[in-house]
Amino acid sequence: MEPPTIGSMEPQPAPDAAARSSGREAPPSPPRRRFLRFLVGFSAASTLGMIIAPIVGFLIPPRTQGSGGGRVVAGTLEDIPANTGKVVAMGSAPVIVVNTEAGVKAYSAVCTHLGCIVGFDTTVRHIVCPCHDGHFNPASGAVLSGPPPAPLPPIAVALEDDEIVLVPSGG
Amino acid sequence: MNAPAETVRGGVAGWFEERLRISGLLAALLHVRIPVSAQTYYLGGISLFLFGVQLISGTLLALYYKPTADAAYESVKYITSVVDFGWLIRSVHHWGATLMIASVGLHMGRIFVQAAYKYPRELTWMFGVLLFAVTILFGFTGYLLPWDQKAYWATTVGTEIAGGVPLIGDALLNLLRGGADVSDATLNRFFGMHVLVLPLLLAGLVVVHLTIVHQLGLASPRHPEPRPVRRGGPAQPVDEPLKPFFPHYILDELIAWFVVLAALVVLASVLPAGLEDEADPLITPQHVKPEWYFLSVYQLLKIVPRTIGIVAPMIAVAILLLLPFLDRNPAVAKRRRPLALSAAVLAVIGLVALTVWGAQS
Repeated sequence: MEPPTIGSMEPQPAPDAAARSSGREAPPSPPRRRFLRFLVGFSAASTLGMIIAPIVGFLIPPRTQGSGGGRVVAGTLEDIPANTGKVVAMGSAPVIVVNTEAGVKAYSAVCTHLGCIVGFDTTVRHIVCPCHDGHFNPASGAVLSGPPPAPLPPIAVALEDDEIVLVPSGG
Repeated sequence: MNAPAETVRGGVAGWFEERLRISGLLAALLHVRIPVSAQTYYLGGISLFLFGVQLISGTLLALYYKPTADAAYESVKYITSVVDFGWLIRSVHHWGATLMIASVGLHMGRIFVQAAYKYPRELTWMFGVLLFAVTILFGFTGYLLPWDQKAYWATTVGTEIAGGVPLIGDALLNLLRGGADVSDATLNRFFGMHVLVLPLLLAGLVVVHLTIVHQLGLASPRHPEPRPVRRGGPAQPVDEPLKPFFPHYILDELIAWFVVLAALVVLASVLPAGLEDEADPLITPQHVKPEWYFLSVYQLLKIVPRTIGIVAPMIAVAILLLLPFLDRNPAVAKRRRPLALSAAVLAVIGLVALTVWGAQS
């Protein structure tokens, strides 16, 4: 017996009746029903995919190119005298520039604990996070006390005449 | 005698049913009286579907859109050209608005032709007219948001029309614009109305509209609904074959939604929403025209005195709203409603003629 044609308008004998007439046992699930179930599931899944894919794509924000692609002048040595510090913007990233006994240093100003912006405390001469009182060594960026789990990432800095220039990595 | 044991369902459905006892409510919601003779063309459901599409696409757009005069245009440009699928979401929103206005209009036409606004469905019709008005307001307020030349000047003219309403015009103009001119304040107001006020209003009206539809069922286009006899109980509905709402009607409706979704994606892909130059309050572009659904009013204002051009559409809306009380003829069969149908045909011809004239002038 030929299998029933999908979508045929001709009435097909019921599979069990057909099986009985040919002396065979009825199949557990008629192929047409299984195929239709697959078709419905496939249609539903592909429709959902068609709707969800653009929505997810839309929700993912486009990659923004950092505006700090070039070198940034953080100020002069007069702006940041010895044992002081200043937070400046390098593109969209805050950077703390400190003038220490070991020279002018710069670090990412984003605290490695929970993302607050650190500042320079002239009293204790530490880089301090105001949120949870994390202290960093201004000469190395290392954690001195408090909850920060890692040192502040260093930023390359150069002195050109009197100007303090921040050099982005790779720049 | 013992009460029959409750049927206990297993699985996830059973778990929820034990805690929510919701199957009775769902069963009641899924039972709507639908006479086989009521050809709905699924237009009401399609309008609802398109509202859902607008809600989702609009929410997505709001994640990137900036509603200030300085930033709106650039943010729309950013959505269209930088954000992944931004052009698609924006175009779907644009075409969804057009299709929604068209489907609500056609739905009202279907109700009119089949006389489904008559007793006892007067309130269903009136809430439907309010839904149509809110849909048009959606179009009007959303049109300004891209802050391009077309948006700016169409809104300038549109709010000027509102300003021409007798007695309250000046106050209305000031209220709409948030000042004397279309400005940053207008953009803020329109954005607030478009994303907060109107969606809440529309959702509330939809709930009322659908509740009444659910309670009364669909009208038969063949027999008027019988009124209750004096001192008797409620009227018995005319005995005619019914179509099961679930799953038959719902499945048909789903297929219609699929077709509309396909049309929406094709339209958005083939004719994506454009963006003109940024709004410039000092330069009015040549031949500035509104969206197609305002073209008839636009053309009317060109050919009749200003006051008439403003008051006439208001009277038309009032007639639409009060139609069930103005049309006292109880008959529903088309051949017994020659006056109403002739008037409607003339109104539609006039509307289409003004629209085409407005588009070509």
